[in-house]
Amino acid sequence: MRLTLTMAVITAILAYQLGLLDPSLWAKAGVNLVRFIPELGVRWDLAGDALLALYETLLISLLGVSGGTLIAYMLAPLASPLLSPPRVAFIVRTVANAIRTVPAILWAVLFVILVGPGPKAGALALTLYTSGYLAKFFYESLEATNRELYDSLKVIGLEGLPLAFALYSHAKKLIISNILFMLEYNVRTATILGFVGAGGIGYYIVHYLNLLNYQAALTFVVFTLLLVILIDFTSYIMRRRL
Amino acid sequence: MSRSADYAVELKDIFFSYGSNSILRGVNLEVGYGEAVAIMGRSGSGKTTLLKIIAGLLRPEKGYVKVLGHYLQAGGLNSVKGRIAYIPQTLGLIEGESALYNVLLARAPRKPLRFITGLWGGDDVEGAVEALRLVGLNGVGRRRVETLSGGEKQRVAIARAIFQGAVLLLADEPISNLDLDTAEALVNMMVSLKLRGLSVISVMHDRQLALKYFDRVYVLDGGVLREAG
Ligand SMILES: Nc1ncnc2c1ncn2[C@@H]1O[C@H](COP(=O)(O)OP(=O)(O)OP(=O)(O)O)[C@@H](O)[C@H]1O
Ligand SMILES: [Mg+2]
Repeated sequence: MRLTLTMAVITAILAYQLGLLDPSLWAKAGVNLVRFIPELGVRWDLAGDALLALYETLLISLLGVSGGTLIAYMLAPLASPLLSPPRVAFIVRTVANAIRTVPAILWAVLFVILVGPGPKAGALALTLYTSGYLAKFFYESLEATNRELYDSLKVIGLEGLPLAFALYSHAKKLIISNILFMLEYNVRTATILGFVGAGGIGYYIVHYLNLLNYQAALTFVVFTLLLVILIDFTSYIMRRRL
Repeated sequence: MSRSADYAVELKDIFFSYGSNSILRGVNLEVGYGEAVAIMGRSGSGKTTLLKIIAGLLRPEKGYVKVLGHYLQAGGLNSVKGRIAYIPQTLGLIEGESALYNVLLARAPRKPLRFITGLWGGDDVEGAVEALRLVGLNGVGRRRVETLSGGEKQRVAIARAIFQGAVLLLADEPISNLDLDTAEALVNMMVSLKLRGLSVISVMHDRQLALKYFDRVYVLDGGVLREAG
């Protein structure tokens, strides 16, 4: 397997460059691990804080999904040459693609600058990112519709947004599955938005890490994992129902 | 009233080609209100192309199309918006949605907000249920269209045309893949829309059915229409 060999060589070179091949590094990691294990444990007295932070995280991610989906629903028809003048379609497409090229966490930095730190910045960042991501997906599903369906709806007299919604409902399963994907993505991202001050549980994780209070930090990490698992499970159930 | 206003569809010397592939070479057709006309012809002869021209979906290179009293070249679909129903070979139904949803779709242009929100009024739903009943689909309104049989789906498409209040029905081989009895019942139902004042132009493959039920039968061959006897 030439690909496997190539990857092995590249991995070795990169690991060497990054200093990962240094034996003393691994010795130090071992010592830290041994020292860290006795400290493992959940600080139940922080559970209240953690749950509140999770609630905020969930709000941020859900708003990102619902707001982003709504905006994408409106943007996608504008981005589709089937439903909108080619020049407008090109511009809207370019904008939607630009939005999704920038990672959500960088949008969060921008919104922290614009509206100040806190969950508002995070919610805006996820809404924006989600709208860019879903707009691209939605206009692709508009393009993919069967031409004869499009024709018969045109003849009925459908155009613009109602026509787009009819075509969306034709691609409903795929669309819902992508919205669920964004839900999972948003929840994961919302847990780290706090690293840049954009709200959510991530704020507490960095806060306690900076104080070298590993047990407290770990408590928030554990609660984060619970939320992620819960959302993935919910999404799995909903997907199966499609 | 001028003479041409008496026709639901009037085609004069229509030429159409896809690139260098010339499909229609001087098609003439006159279909009166309340008339049912069948178009036959071998595969690739241009039947679908002709229906699309009448529907305003394609523009002829030459000749004029007058539909329901309007010249289509100029305004495209707008002047006859909502008064033509076009049932394509693939029926144009939205899968994953109910039969009722698909029939109600015909009212979406007039009530876009109700359509987008799905909050239809009682009279809208009643009308759609009534249209389904007219085509013999009682109690299937809530069924998803992909769970219906081929013949039932085709009847949903016809119900939509009825509910739309279309004046002209264009149907592209509405009975392909059906057994003979079902096919005959469907053709009969479609042609009987004449009684509601509709003009019907349908592509047909079954010559016997076409001759039995339609007022006139045309064959598209070599880019022109000629009447079959
Ligand atoms: N969009 C297109 N671009 C190029 N050529 C096309 C296009 N649509 C149809 N054609 C060609 O035009 C010719 C007529 O097509 P049309 O679909 O009108 O035939 P038809 O009589 O409906 O055939 P069938 O009975 O198989 O449905 C065919 O040769 C087809 O390949
Ligand atoms: Mg055809």
